[in-house]
Amino acid sequence: MDISEELNATVEEVEPFLELTPALVQKRRSQGRIIFDRFVRNKAAIGGAIFLILLFVFCFLGPALWRVNPNQQNILSVSETLAPPSLAHLFGTDDVGRDTLARVMAGGRVSLSVGLTSMLMAILLGIGIGSFAGYYGGVVDNVLMRFTDAVLAIPLYLLLFVLSASFTDGTPKSVVVLIAFFGWTYAARLVRGEFLALKQREYVLASRTIGASNLRLMFRHMLPNAAGPIIVNATLLIGTNIILESVLSYFGFGIKPPDASWGSMIDVGQGLFDVDPLLVLIPGALVILTVLSVNLVGDGLRDALDPYMTER
Amino acid sequence: MGRYIIRRILQAIPLLFLLSIVMFSLIHLLPGGADAVLFNPRLTAAGRAALRARMGLDDPFYIQYFKWISAALTGNFGYSFVTNEPVSSILARRFPATLELFGIAFLVALTLAILIGVISAVRQGTVADYSLTILAYVGISMPAFLLGLFLQDIFGVTLQWLPTSGTGSYGLTLSPWASLFDHLQHLILPVIALSILFIAGWSRYMRSSMIEVVKQDYMRTARAKGVGQVSLLMRHAFRNAVIPLITIVALDFGAIAGGATITEGVFAWPGMGLLFIASLNARDYPVLIAMLMISAFLVIAFNLIADILYAVLDPRIRYT
Repeated sequence: MDISEELNATVEEVEPFLELTPALVQKRRSQGRIIFDRFVRNKAAIGGAIFLILLFVFCFLGPALWRVNPNQQNILSVSETLAPPSLAHLFGTDDVGRDTLARVMAGGRVSLSVGLTSMLMAILLGIGIGSFAGYYGGVVDNVLMRFTDAVLAIPLYLLLFVLSASFTDGTPKSVVVLIAFFGWTYAARLVRGEFLALKQREYVLASRTIGASNLRLMFRHMLPNAAGPIIVNATLLIGTNIILESVLSYFGFGIKPPDASWGSMIDVGQGLFDVDPLLVLIPGALVILTVLSVNLVGDGLRDALDPYMTER
Repeated sequence: MGRYIIRRILQAIPLLFLLSIVMFSLIHLLPGGADAVLFNPRLTAAGRAALRARMGLDDPFYIQYFKWISAALTGNFGYSFVTNEPVSSILARRFPATLELFGIAFLVALTLAILIGVISAVRQGTVADYSLTILAYVGISMPAFLLGLFLQDIFGVTLQWLPTSGTGSYGLTLSPWASLFDHLQHLILPVIALSILFIAGWSRYMRSSMIEVVKQDYMRTARAKGVGQVSLLMRHAFRNAVIPLITIVALDFGAIAGGATITEGVFAWPGMGLLFIASLNARDYPVLIAMLMISAFLVIAFNLIADILYAVLDPRIRYT
């Protein structure tokens, strides 16, 4: 279709030079460049990436322009509570007169940082456990993987609720630790699988013969070669974690009032859905769009990093 | 195969023991504790002490665990702190509601997911495929509680078509048929909310495994032999493509003992998930620990079932 059209259009111009520039002499692109080009060609993934960048700007730089305290209540004024969107409150206000736009930004900062930091913790934990299990094998592998199985066998939401009732104090930090504690299992299995395969490779044997230490082999030589699947898993994990945080906050086990997160804003807003649906729709739409963008970027990365994808 | 199953079962036993210790300790670490949450605040110190002793809360932690595990091994999970009912009869009362919700949602989801997956695989790259893909992405990105909330608002509040919560209308005397109809009406929204989540994930799975299968050599051979398009898809491609999906479905079904915590919470569906949240808030230790252990047991069991199903359905897979 468009490829053949392109060929037809340029065939006369190209033909005389074809022999001079055979395919092999064409300028070679670096591996990173190839991956970047593939990613950029994926419109959905680029759309997701652009949305995420805008969202970060909105949540983290927005408050510089919109100088309203997200926790400032105005409960005594009838015109300030449950106000519809206006110039003073672009997204309106909630039942105690707090500015929804300012709260959405504050909640977004919490939701995004919880999603990102818990992903980082979970991935680091997963890489640590998975790489030791995969590299050393035997008893180490057995112990670490049975431990992973045990965490995987726990029904996620049940234990998450138990733990958040006992171990979190409602600060974002404690929620991050909690979510990370459950998020690492998939990464650990993934890294273990990659390491099991990678340790048979010749280049690992080669660096061992010249005296590379175990740790150097694992983290300098093998880990970069397992980077692709880890990056994809990490990206998708951000989306999962943002959803987890919103579920916890929605059921009252996550971020404690008066601080906002998107989940707790939905929780507060659902009782007022008939009066002011924007209180649910705005944070709800942001959760969906954010997770959607994260998933699109993650799948775009998966395709871009897949060595079996044929280069067109 | 027999030896493989036996080995897996033997591996599961220490895992369950380990989990029981971990979960028992976690439950007992809950702040507030049974006596702060459960007991009447005006209870005298003597009454309090008597109740604590009766519930076994004064024993050292390891004695409590030992008492619990030796009873649990005989199938006795103790008595609820709140209602004093045997835990097993509470669970037996709650489980049918969850089974009903899960069973119907799974049937609906499986049928639609397969249909959607096959359609978008066969029509790969068309408008239909793209629309279904976008819908699936939105479904995957949607938190369950938000989906439930939207459904409640649209069909329950705005359109007034369907009831938003519970399993039946109260305060009405209905004939058996009318009450069944009433119950089914209550079932619709939670089933939709629960199945959409599964459809979104499973249909993507079905699509990619169908695309994978269609590329295989034996498919080309069949087409060269002159097998018709429908028979090619249904008899040759579908049967192989559905195998991975079935194992995923089996894995997901393992979550049943925990109930669809979120969906049940949103729709006030009185199943296991709602029971868990209520027991957690009441610090009803015996119910909590029984539910956690049964859930873990079922997750492990369905993991094994999924692996066995995989080998049964696909003779190329051999476990040793």
